[in-house]
Amino acid sequence: MHTTVKSRLALGTLAVLAACNGPRRIREAPILMNGDRTASQDRLIADARTDGQADNASLTQARDSVYAKAVATCRATICASVVKGELSLGMTPAQAMAATRTAPAAWTLRESGAATVMVPRMLGYAPRDATGEVVMVQFDDERVNAVSYRETQGIRVVSAASDTTMEGRATAMADALIREGDQFNAAGDRAKALDRYDRALALKRGDAMLEYKVATMLDLQMRPVEAQIRYQRFLQSLEIEQIQARGQASAQLADAIARAQQRVIVLERQTMVPATPPSSVPPAPPPTTVPDSVQTPRP
Amino acid sequence: MILTTPAAIRRATLLGLAAVFLAACNNKRVSRVDPASVTDLSGRWNDVDSKLVANALIDQTFSGPWTAQYASAHGGTTPTVIIGSFRNRTLEHVPIGTFVKDLERAYVNSGRVRLVASRDERTEVRDERDDQQTNASAETRARIGKENGASYMLQGDVQAIEDAEGREKVVFYQVDAFLVDLESSQKVWIGQHKIKKYIDRRRVGW
Repeated sequence: MHTTVKSRLALGTLAVLAACNGPRRIREAPILMNGDRTASQDRLIADARTDGQADNASLTQARDSVYAKAVATCRATICASVVKGELSLGMTPAQAMAATRTAPAAWTLRESGAATVMVPRMLGYAPRDATGEVVMVQFDDERVNAVSYRETQGIRVVSAASDTTMEGRATAMADALIREGDQFNAAGDRAKALDRYDRALALKRGDAMLEYKVATMLDLQMRPVEAQIRYQRFLQSLEIEQIQARGQASAQLADAIARAQQRVIVLERQTMVPATPPSSVPPAPPPTTVPDSVQTPRP
Repeated sequence: MILTTPAAIRRATLLGLAAVFLAACNNKRVSRVDPASVTDLSGRWNDVDSKLVANALIDQTFSGPWTAQYASAHGGTTPTVIIGSFRNRTLEHVPIGTFVKDLERAYVNSGRVRLVASRDERTEVRDERDDQQTNASAETRARIGKENGASYMLQGDVQAIEDAEGREKVVFYQVDAFLVDLESSQKVWIGQHKIKKYIDRRRVGW
């Protein structure tokens, strides 16, 4: 009997211990019960509207004060630029803000002697003028001397009057595309290089070296008919006699001319005899590098 | 009247059943209640969850600095938002539209965000505008090419985690919403709301 009681006690203890071994859960007090009420959305919206109106009023006040300061001191051309919303060289910081329709809260100003740099306070919220997204405005003696824009091909800097024209912008964009094309060519991606050169050619028509680069890319991609036309256009766009008369003023350009003439002859022969079986001696390969620093000499 | 014959017993049974049916028909009760009241029945996603999510997202969207920063950099104009895809990644039926529409309403009525019609909504509008070019008079027809382009797209999803043991169950919902800059693909705002529900199915209860 005594043994039975002991064994029952032991079993009971074991059962209690086993029960304690289960996952322990802490009972949390509910935060929302049946019969409670959820917060009113109308009140939330009304609060947001009030806050927005207050923010907008202070922003408008700051912008109006900048605008008044800007137009009080501007000359005729600068005034016209402010009204059109275009940053132009020679503007004061207030005029630059007025042209971008911003207040000082949108910018961070760093001064170092006579030079001042104005950059957007938040890069994701860069101000814009009529031309594009402005990433930096540089001042010299309180006057704009350079404006940097963020564009698809990178940063474009406007620091001279010629850069501000449509032609200047197109040239800058074409140069950026050519740089990008050269990088793709160096990396061996000729299709993308050709795409960039083609786009640059749309902006910079009549650029002989660009035409040569396009021809070379087509030639390397085994597109002989188009390459031949491009080589011919390159040669026609040059005033070869004048260049030769100058006594090989530009060695790289002369090399390009010679290569283009050679490729035209080779490609013409290939296209004239299409049925000829491939010879054991392969034709001379087109040039793999594209000169990038050659400028067409002006007559 | 004593139920002695089988026919009398049958009649009495039929009468009794008819009485029970009539009583059962009278059992329906319908009442209007405050839409803001909390009423949990099954423990699944319901109107309270939708409202809680909408309130949290409305609060978070306007407490963030993105609208003020946009206005500051864009001459005081308010940002334009388009509603993109909002996915239900749970196994439950979660009507996304209820809280997304609440958010849309808050955007427009607060005056701090402009909203343009989503891809599905504008198809009908464009059809009507195209039709006007042929059939409406010149001074009343809506002009083409005057739509507002959105600066940001609202996207998001709902996810759920369930844990159950015996008669107890815990369901956790997480709703994430974010605004993506359409030009730079940068996320300018992220809103989130989490709901944890404890469901206890008691065998006996009062």
